[in-house]
Amino acid sequence: MHELSVCQALLRQVAQLVQSRGASVVESITVEVGPLCGIEPMLLANAFWIMRAGSCAAQAALFIEETSVTVGCVSCGAQSQTAPNRLTCAACGGFRTRIVAGDELRLRRVELRAPEPVTV
Amino acid sequence: MCETCGCTVTPGIDHQHGNEKVLVEVVQDLLAANNETAAHNREHFDQHGVLAINLMSSPGAGKTALLEATILALRDRYRIAVIEGDLETDNDAVRIRAHGVPAVQITTGTACHLDAHLIHRALHDLPLAGLDLLFIENVGNLVCPASFDLGQHRNVTLLSATEGDDKPAKYPVIFRASDLVVITKTDLLEVLDDFDPLRAAAAVRALGRDTPMIRTAARRTPDIGSWLNWLEGQLGAWRRIARRSRSMMAALVGA
Repeated sequence: MHELSVCQALLRQVAQLVQSRGASVVESITVEVGPLCGIEPMLLANAFWIMRAGSCAAQAALFIEETSVTVGCVSCGAQSQTAPNRLTCAACGGFRTRIVAGDELRLRRVELRAPEPVTV
Repeated sequence: MCETCGCTVTPGIDHQHGNEKVLVEVVQDLLAANNETAAHNREHFDQHGVLAINLMSSPGAGKTALLEATILALRDRYRIAVIEGDLETDNDAVRIRAHGVPAVQITTGTACHLDAHLIHRALHDLPLAGLDLLFIENVGNLVCPASFDLGQHRNVTLLSATEGDDKPAKYPVIFRASDLVVITKTDLLEVLDDFDPLRAAAAVRALGRDTPMIRTAARRTPDIGSWLNWLEGQLGAWRRIARRSRSMMAALVGA
């Protein structure tokens, strides 16, 4: 449900980029979404289709790169890929881990097109 | 100047001719604006020596009941205030104010969570001076509140005995983000045959953190001792750290 507010934040960041780069058209936007960031990729995509209208990204495509969860074990140091609700160490079974990957919610790249050159 | 053709490269735009596409690589947290405001809120709390606690749970898990019992137990020793998040009503804020504690209501409408900007706005109506504890009662929801830092110092998630003991496995993000998990309504455990606190504890441990878990019952015969102990422990620990960093800052400024 909060995908709308996240999408709003995304469009604001893209608008800032467009302005600072002096571009006119956003061709595509790529975001990185991990299973532990609390965002559903499909809902974010739906929100984007609704909210891009009238924004600087009205014609833009949204690409969502889904990452997987990797935890690092505090006890044995091993890194393992795990399910989002099974974040213990796959090597030693230790239950104190830190998230190495999987909680990303990031803007990664934006494809911009510069304004049409003015012919005098 | 461009060596190949002599055009002027506009600052900020990578070398291009005509209206070619430019690929801009960025690594930017989508919640950066929220996180910035959250940090700002935290500074406010720190300046006033207020420990801010974000209470999260599904609807009806007993956040307000736990707060009411907490206020009754602690109001003579600590100055407490509450920020209430709710979709539509101010019922919870009214319940809190009835105990003589200031409560600011944030009505979120259809928004399913509180964010740092809403908290910042609420702080304009809530004098922090002299407070010890600020509770932020988040909107009842186990999904969305987990993604938004509010500036709190501690996250507490309630899991009531009338819910499934597998909730932590279903909502890993919020339970992983918790500094404490409180099993509430434990006075009902004797009549509920499908909630096993040990299974709930195993589901929390499977999230890769040794998050402490305690049990409370806040109505009828209140049993919230372990919760009060945790709260006072956190307040003490947080104040010691705050004092130490203040004296370090003073030493740095004096040096």
